[in-house]
Amino acid sequence: MQIRDLPHTDPGQPDVRSGFRFLVWLFRCQLGGQAKALGWGTLHMASIAALPVAVGSAISAVVDDSGRRLLVTGAFLVAIALVIAFADAMLHRSAVTNWITAAARVQQLLARQTAALGGVLTRRVAAGEVVKVSTGDVEKIGWFVESFSRFAAAVVVTVSVCAGLIWFEPQLGLLVAGGVAAVVLSVFPLLPTAIRRAEFERSKSGRATELASDTVAGLRVLRGIGGEELFLDRYRRASQEVRSASVRNARMWSLIDAVQVVMPGLLLIAVVWQGARLALDGRLGAGELVTVYGAVSFLLFPLRLFTEAAMAFTFSRPSARRAVRVLGLRREGREGGAEAARGGDAREAPRPGGDLTDPATGLRAARGRLTAVVCGAPDFAERLAERLGGHPVMPGDEASARLGGVALDEVPLAEARAAVLVQDKDPVLLSGTLAELLDVPSSGRVDAEAALRAAHCHDVLEALSRATRDGSRDPMRGMITERARSLSGGQRQRLALARSLITDPEVLVLDEPTSAVDAHTEAGIARGLRSLRAGRTTVVFTSSPLMLDQADEVVFVNDGAVAAVGSHRELLGTTPAYRAVVTRDTETVQLAEESA
Amino acid sequence: MIGVQPPDYDPAGTEHATTLPVAGPETVRDYVRSLLRRHRGAFAVLIAVNATAVVASMVGPTLLGGLVQDLADGERELRLGRNISLFAVALVVQAFFVRMVRLRGAVLGERMLADLREDFLVRSVGLPPGVLERAGTGDLLARINTDVDRLSTAMREALPQMSIAVVWAGLLLGGLVVTAPPLALAIVVALPVLLGVCVWYFRRAPAGYRSEAAGYAAVAAALAETVDAGRTIEAHRLEERRIALSDQRVAEWTSWERYTLWLRSILIPAINFYHASLLAGVLLIGGWFVLEDWLTVGQLTTGALLTQLMVEPVGMILRWMDELQVARVSLARLVGVREIEEDAGDGSLAPGGRELLAERVRFGYLPDVDVLHDVSLDVAPGTRLALVGPSGAGKSTLGRLLAGIYGPRTGSVTLGGTRLSEMTAERVRERVALVNQEHHVFVGPLRDNLLLARTDASDAELWAALGAVDADDWVRGLPEGLDTEVGSGALSVTPARAQQIALARLVLADPHTLVLDEATSLLDPRAARHLERSLGRVLDGRTVIAIAHRLHTAHDADVIAVVEDGRITELGSHHELVASGGAYAALWRSWHG
Repeated sequence: MQIRDLPHTDPGQPDVRSGFRFLVWLFRCQLGGQAKALGWGTLHMASIAALPVAVGSAISAVVDDSGRRLLVTGAFLVAIALVIAFADAMLHRSAVTNWITAAARVQQLLARQTAALGGVLTRRVAAGEVVKVSTGDVEKIGWFVESFSRFAAAVVVTVSVCAGLIWFEPQLGLLVAGGVAAVVLSVFPLLPTAIRRAEFERSKSGRATELASDTVAGLRVLRGIGGEELFLDRYRRASQEVRSASVRNARMWSLIDAVQVVMPGLLLIAVVWQGARLALDGRLGAGELVTVYGAVSFLLFPLRLFTEAAMAFTFSRPSARRAVRVLGLRREGREGGAEAARGGDAREAPRPGGDLTDPATGLRAARGRLTAVVCGAPDFAERLAERLGGHPVMPGDEASARLGGVALDEVPLAEARAAVLVQDKDPVLLSGTLAELLDVPSSGRVDAEAALRAAHCHDVLEALSRATRDGSRDPMRGMITERARSLSGGQRQRLALARSLITDPEVLVLDEPTSAVDAHTEAGIARGLRSLRAGRTTVVFTSSPLMLDQADEVVFVNDGAVAAVGSHRELLGTTPAYRAVVTRDTETVQLAEESA
Repeated sequence: MIGVQPPDYDPAGTEHATTLPVAGPETVRDYVRSLLRRHRGAFAVLIAVNATAVVASMVGPTLLGGLVQDLADGERELRLGRNISLFAVALVVQAFFVRMVRLRGAVLGERMLADLREDFLVRSVGLPPGVLERAGTGDLLARINTDVDRLSTAMREALPQMSIAVVWAGLLLGGLVVTAPPLALAIVVALPVLLGVCVWYFRRAPAGYRSEAAGYAAVAAALAETVDAGRTIEAHRLEERRIALSDQRVAEWTSWERYTLWLRSILIPAINFYHASLLAGVLLIGGWFVLEDWLTVGQLTTGALLTQLMVEPVGMILRWMDELQVARVSLARLVGVREIEEDAGDGSLAPGGRELLAERVRFGYLPDVDVLHDVSLDVAPGTRLALVGPSGAGKSTLGRLLAGIYGPRTGSVTLGGTRLSEMTAERVRERVALVNQEHHVFVGPLRDNLLLARTDASDAELWAALGAVDADDWVRGLPEGLDTEVGSGALSVTPARAQQIALARLVLADPHTLVLDEATSLLDPRAARHLERSLGRVLDGRTVIAIAHRLHTAHDADVIAVVEDGRITELGSHHELVASGGAYAALWRSWHG
């Protein structure tokens, strides 16, 4: 696997039974890369371990007054230098490649998972938690995967050096081997506390960043009405909390640093003491003493990798658990979700068509007509609108909505979504250019221009023509920011409507599509919607007289069932409850007029 | 072709729409200098502590050099006890001071970082409302999130570590010169290659890392959007496209990873080779000098061991160098906010009355396009004025001018005879407040969300304000009432309730003139009507300018102004306008049925 081959064509099926199994699965996905990193790591560290030998033999050459041996040692050193340089670069390349391939794999898995779960995801886990996996946890998981092979290489080399020393001078070797074990173990008791403090600091710092960006996001409110000092004080407190948490954290790590100086230092002293006595006995040359000293100093380097690996493992475990929590989610209900729907051969089946009916309320929207629905309770409207599309996020006890007699819940999800498009109360505009926004799967019958005209988007186009990146003033190239925050609420609603009109589904269900649009424009949209959707089934949930007046048929749903059906004007006259809901405004206006 | 070219697509290039200024190198230098000056005591301590640790670390090699010398001289008495005790004392000193270095470094870094981020927020919070309105908060948000984050690493680690490493390397070099002057030659011989590669690398690396980080952030951003838009994606069957987009972001990010990996593939061997050739140089030159008797074996041993110690500080310098370069760019963006002119208003100006008057106002967001053409409007104190008209006609712009957020291009907007644009924002808002569709609920207890409007308000006053906007019922139903944590990450508040909170703030702030720009648009129409009426009772006697798309708001107003195409085309009471049979009358009829 090379970085240039990324993204993975298929990130695979992860093992989501537990965080640890997930890590193992990731590891197994890149066995080749791990083997490479292990190989290069061993070569790299082994060649570094050879340096003290060279230094020692240079010193003994000098002690023995041999210029020729000094030159040979010099040549040996240059050769080692080349190997070190090459092996280090290759180790780095293979380790980083492992990191990136693992991180890319997890990111791709997350993308597939979130797309497949759609609206279900945020009902089951907080949106922030999913994003946190992507921004924070992937990095830690990658770190573990990457550091593991370096750790393995360090083990191989450390054991070899100790074995070499034992073979070279058993007394010294055993001292060193025992010392190394003591050095490694001395740091471990400190790690849990250190990691806890690091996590605590991270959470404090996350909180401070959140407060700062929250204050900035609401800055216009603050500047408009006051309270800046209140929020500055709050931020200063949070910022100082971060500072003290960081210092507390540093206190622990500085202790670890000190231990990492003292323990190997003690070992060095012991080695020098023992070595010097051996040298006095003539069992060790001066150069060899230097070699042993160098070898022990070298061991500090792999020892640090031990600490790093321990940290990476401790940090990555909870991260892997969080990732598995997201990746392990499945869609409830009768059908296996978008994934299964895409693969199934349901494509062959004829698309359902005909009247849209809801057995639970008795609602019927005739094929090819514009039906307006008025509900006594606004949140009931929201649930009813969702149910009309089939496969509701939270399946209830009610019978499925039917299209031409076919229960939508029984039809594969993708098929149901293609037949019925439900535009909810708060449709999200995805960032990108306007052209990208409007490029949705569609029948192809309605072009962007017609849809934008019907949704009265001229002022949006005007605004977007000023927001092009290339300065072309072409509104289709205008940039829509995240959630289209640069546009007003009414503008967002009209763009969302235009997008749904382009899709041109068999059945279009709109939930309060013009609630934030001014009366002038709403009247125009109602007419535009009617003419553009002529001959197609359209259901609009609304309470606006301007919209109701354009409907072929108005259905009044009260207390969970259809209470009346007719035209807006008819219902005004015949159904007092309808009149109370729709014209509560005008009714009170009339009362006011009468009393005036 | 050998090597990797930087990818064509640069995620950092489109990362922020820079709408606010970025500081020039001069300003950044001045700022860094003042930062260092403010913390020079702590810096001095850090360097002193560090120097002690480094000197202690050189004791070991020196002692070993002496031992080797004695052994080579055939000395039988090594004074081992004295040497070992010295070594142990040095070790204790070193460990203690290493700990101090780390701790002092963190204390210093954290203090600088805290200064910097607090400074930045103080400056941001002082920005004139007009600047915010024009520039939006996006750029500012990017700076507080991305740039402060990038600077944290620099301040926490890079700056202290860098100063530690420089001192360290300098002292080692000094130690080498003291023990065996000729050996310092080896360093000079080996240096040019490393310097050459470093120049090549550091010319490319900072931009590369910036793009890489931006690319990685874009991967997460695409995912965040997919999560946020889950329902929409499902409804429009955009699953495949979102997956394709994420894969594309991964491709863009990894292409930059590949580029920076290539840069390091050159740098890493160069550093390694430098260290090794340094050691080879020391041993060969030193060995030759010893053979010629210009140097002792002991000196050579100490020199070789000191040279090996150089690996650490040199590595640190190179490692933190690009971090510092990236940080410089971020710092320029943070410091840039300081260059925005403060509110130009005159603090001594105060209005002489409550009459709001717009005279022949022309205004546009772009120099050549006017949104308002010659608008004049006289709002008497206590009037309820409704602005109606089609989208894009300039209602909101007129509202902002009347609230003093923008100054007109020509003509004037005055309150009690004083121009709004000449007063400070603080002065204006005591009298005129604007509530628009942008309703922000701050993270924290609900109480803080209200107190910002009047910091000394009692709980009874808070409840009264909530009552005035029909919000007391649901607030009472919250688990902890006013103390309930709200905002992102805590209890999320529906847009409709957020609008109620915004209006409750307005009630608390109690200005005599209010501009309500679609302030109830997100509420259910029936609830909106009820709210407006109860709000109307509280605001009795205040001047209210309401921009509304629901006609009942207009109906309830004293005066209605129809705005079309940047001009006021109809002006009068509801009955007058309905009687006159113009655009308003037509709309009213179709709406009223």
